[in-house]
Amino acid sequence: MGLKPATNPDVEAATIELTIDGKTVTAKDGVSLYDVISMTGKIIPAMCYHYTFDPFGSCGMCLVMQEGKKAPVRSCTAKATAGMIIRTEGDDLFLARKKAVEKHLSVHPLDCPVCDADGHCELQDMAFEHGVTNLANAKQKFIPEDTRSPVLDFNMNRCIACAECINVCKDVLMIDALQFMKKGGFNQVVPKGDVALDCEFCGDCLAVCPVGAITNKFSKYLYKPWQMKKTTTTCNYCGDGCQLYLETKDEEVIRVTSPLSWKNKWGDRSETAKGHGGLCVRGRFGFEYLDGKTRLRNPLVREHNQLVEKPWIETMQTLVDRFTAITHRHGADAIAGLITARCTNEELYLFQKLMRTVFGTNHLDSSARYGHMNFVHASKHAVGLGRTHNDWEDLTKAKAVLVIGSNLTETNPLTAMRIKEAIRVYKAQVVTLDSAVTNMAKLASHPLLINPGTEGAVIDGLVKTAIDQDLVDEESVKKHPRAFDALKAAVGTLSLEQISAHTGLSSETFKEIVALFAESPRSIILCAEGIVRRTNGYQNVLKLIDLAWITGKLDRPGCGVSTVTEEPNEQGAVDMGVAPEFLPGQARFDDAAARDRFAKAWDAPLPQAGTGSHLVDILNRCRSGQIKALYILGENPLGTLPASLEVRTALEHVELLVVQDPFLTQTGRQAHFVLPACTYAEKDGTFTNLEGRVLRVRQAMDPLGDSLPDWHIMTALANAMGAHWEYQSVNDIQAEILKLVPGYYNLGQPRKIVPTPDHYLSDGYAAEVGARYRASEGHDQTRPFSLQMGQVLMHSGKMSTEAPGLIKIAPNTGKLHMNIRDMEQLGVQEGVKVCLASERGSLQLGVQPDQSVAPGTCFFPEHFNEPPVKDLMTVSIDPVTGVPAFKQCWVSIERA
Amino acid sequence: MNVGALTKKVLQAALFYEIWDAMKVTFQHMFHRPITFQYPREQRTIPDAHRGALGLLRYDDGHERCVGCDLCEAACPSRCIKVISAEDPSRPLQRYATEFYIDITKCVFCGYCVEACPVNALAMTKMYEFSTHDKRTLLFDKKRLYDIGERHLDDAKKYLYAHNQEKNVEESREYRYYFPQSVLKSTQSPPKHLS
Ligand code: SF4
Ligand code: SF4
Ligand code: SF4
Ligand code: SF4
Ligand code: SF4
Ligand code: FES
Repeated sequence: MGLKPATNPDVEAATIELTIDGKTVTAKDGVSLYDVISMTGKIIPAMCYHYTFDPFGSCGMCLVMQEGKKAPVRSCTAKATAGMIIRTEGDDLFLARKKAVEKHLSVHPLDCPVCDADGHCELQDMAFEHGVTNLANAKQKFIPEDTRSPVLDFNMNRCIACAECINVCKDVLMIDALQFMKKGGFNQVVPKGDVALDCEFCGDCLAVCPVGAITNKFSKYLYKPWQMKKTTTTCNYCGDGCQLYLETKDEEVIRVTSPLSWKNKWGDRSETAKGHGGLCVRGRFGFEYLDGKTRLRNPLVREHNQLVEKPWIETMQTLVDRFTAITHRHGADAIAGLITARCTNEELYLFQKLMRTVFGTNHLDSSARYGHMNFVHASKHAVGLGRTHNDWEDLTKAKAVLVIGSNLTETNPLTAMRIKEAIRVYKAQVVTLDSAVTNMAKLASHPLLINPGTEGAVIDGLVKTAIDQDLVDEESVKKHPRAFDALKAAVGTLSLEQISAHTGLSSETFKEIVALFAESPRSIILCAEGIVRRTNGYQNVLKLIDLAWITGKLDRPGCGVSTVTEEPNEQGAVDMGVAPEFLPGQARFDDAAARDRFAKAWDAPLPQAGTGSHLVDILNRCRSGQIKALYILGENPLGTLPASLEVRTALEHVELLVVQDPFLTQTGRQAHFVLPACTYAEKDGTFTNLEGRVLRVRQAMDPLGDSLPDWHIMTALANAMGAHWEYQSVNDIQAEILKLVPGYYNLGQPRKIVPTPDHYLSDGYAAEVGARYRASEGHDQTRPFSLQMGQVLMHSGKMSTEAPGLIKIAPNTGKLHMNIRDMEQLGVQEGVKVCLASERGSLQLGVQPDQSVAPGTCFFPEHFNEPPVKDLMTVSIDPVTGVPAFKQCWVSIERA
Repeated sequence: MNVGALTKKVLQAALFYEIWDAMKVTFQHMFHRPITFQYPREQRTIPDAHRGALGLLRYDDGHERCVGCDLCEAACPSRCIKVISAEDPSRPLQRYATEFYIDITKCVFCGYCVEACPVNALAMTKMYEFSTHDKRTLLFDKKRLYDIGERHLDDAKKYLYAHNQEKNVEESREYRYYFPQSVLKSTQSPPKHLS
């Protein structure tokens, strides 16, 4: 809702009454008149208005007559006030609007036949609607096109100066990369400072531009909007699960468009709490891998140490023979499987069913093990919920958000948008605690830089401050006095001075943030890769839950401890039971009742309780020869895990390595069988996003070449191994999941959650909390720099490196990102080689300055293995959850 | 039946009157100028508005007229046109068709595509003889269409005139689509009402 948004979601704006076209309507005080009119179901033209940002009022289309005024008024910028009498129709208004259209057209190139907006252009629609056929005194602007940016072309001849692009970038995205500039006698949109556009490339400006002034470089001049098939599906890059339209022509993916568009400009601003419908650069421009040349089109079988193409039928026959032989000779325990969380829920479900009932093994894991499992286990242990506590709406409406160990704008840009909206609309206070200068920190009210690797100690400090300063919530702690005493005793051994020195935050700062967090009515802790993918991830999440509990922010509405997921379906992988410890629906694998239920439903015995190993154990067992066959779906452990885990040796030790993937990955090159799988664009199914919403994935095109959807391959494999699976389509699998995990799909709404910490706090808490709070040791001073590997905005895992567009925007520079001051101290300039050495080895690589890297740290994107920086990382394995932490280690840097 | 009538009937039967009567038309035509003509030895004159094979046209300076706008494809009721377009690398902002197909076996010769074309790049010609033993050759591609256009340029222009699409450039332009600056330079001067 435009103009004056409610800054407090708890307080409703006053109601007023006004008359529109003779009918009395009620509306909220202070909102735009345009919104009030559109709420009555009347659509009046508007070319510069969009409900996601404040009205700008430049196009002159939204004219209405107000009683008492001679000239028509612009309804978008007018505030609705009580007693207004408004007329929205009539010949005079039609003519006034027609004049406005003519005015725009008189400086318009009218090159509709070549324009990409042709058929999807508001100006064109308006010209048609108002019957504009004759233009006296038209002129041309003759502005050359700005083609400097890698993804967007700006053709300012077509611009109608509506400023939607500028407003969405400034107001909604808070990136502010565009501006108006008077050039050649015309107001033009240019990138800030009139240089080549260098922004987050989310493309939302492109989506809201009502004309063809901003063009998508990827699909420029290829097809007209009406020629493409539009499929609504879910983005496959991150856990935000954005809805997007995949536009295809036959076997080609042409472009991706978003629900955010000038076409749906009508809405209630408060609705955007659930998302504004935009996309990020990965979703919008990272689609080229779907029909890329590197896609696998045929099964590959290793023959004489070479992978050769074979037909499916022959491949499957030999494969099944090999699997059967291994089960006979070594038993079911000799088989293990890994799957990526980029698969759909249905496939994840089938995968664990295949491993458990057909192969009879419980050695299975998914990529949720790289971090998300830490959160799931901690949260499930403490409050009985194996997922994040808050949805997007909670985040938007929070009053205080504590973002710890998360570079949210890079990893989950659209979740970051929720926090931006919280800051912008609801005036939330945001505290960021990170050892990097994140983009979120630039917007936060309390941007705090901490020493690298001290996230755990920071939480210690927060908990201790809350108790010492008596910022606890009496009601919450009184319920569990014994637990509270135990926690008090546990943190009693810590000294805040030491923590301050260690983390780099003063005790006043601690006091300030805890007070802020404890005192605001809705506070949320958001922890991500900096917590769950690092050492002690499990304990650190539990500590955050402690903090939320004692400040009374654990079980109140709109409060909680949340996380985000890197891959689109990590939550689904956990929910579908793709982990040795879980059955579908997060039932414990050793829970006798659940085991019974599933064994009966699947009509097959389950592997014995107590068996089963997770990712790291599976690799260990491969190395030791206990596991003989490894079935890998879409995972790429060789490309992901550091050398110290000896993945290569593990893979070399297995007798049968089967990799099923849309691409020939590093792991795939080692395999005996490579099965070509489909991408998400070629299959149906669902993803569960980080909020727990189950979102549809719809087939947009036929499978490329001979590739097949993963569920199809698994069904074929199971049946060839003697099972009787009768899945004809994904619907059949869904029906089965519906029966076994009732309510899982929940019509795409986040399932409501009620954190119940009482059991945890009253039983066993006192015993375990003591070990949780320990003074942290410093690190080896001979390696003064903290090397961090992480995600960058333009990429996601290794998959995005197959998308040429994303590689063009953010290529692998092969250089170490460093703070400019550190570079000066070392006496190196950009591009100069340094020697980077950790416990695990050393290598030489160039350096480049990066503003987001804090002094004392250095960064390398985890998406690239050239040079193999990942192999320098040390690994620590979480004793409870088995999560391997390998994203941070200590290094020395010297001039080479 | 009276005697007179009976006599007449017998007489007529003896003289085979009815056969003569029936053959009257035939005999009459024996002395008529024939109206049929000997196709293919003789060719008919075809009116300018005739809807024959489609061709693509070039401007006088040799540039392709077609801007790959896909409007003909959209207008075609039998969906037999396929246009794939791209930006002309040598002329920024110019769009052109990289590939252009018309499946002439499906074409119903309605002429809508010609009407839809904003730059009069398509025209129908008087060419109607494209029978073949190989149906596949009836998928006209871009080269074939330009060949037809070149070979039948005069007819194509006459077609456009006959359909009031290019007769009087200035006048027809006023209510037809006027193509702007990007194509302007290589084509015509702007019409009166816009210059
Ligand atoms: S922006 Fe709209 S009106 Fe302008 S040339 Fe493109 S399609 Fe035509
Ligand atoms: S792509 Fe996104 S960040 Fe860049 S200018 Fe457009 S709206 Fe702003
Ligand atoms: S570029 Fe598009 S969105 Fe931006 S001001 Fe111009 S017409 Fe509006
Ligand atoms: S935020 Fe995540 S889900 Fe949304 S478009 Fe970007 S990568 Fe895709
Ligand atoms: S309508 Fe004309 S300019 Fe457009 S694609 Fe067809 S032939 Fe080319
Ligand atoms: S919508 Fe009101 S002036 Fe443009």
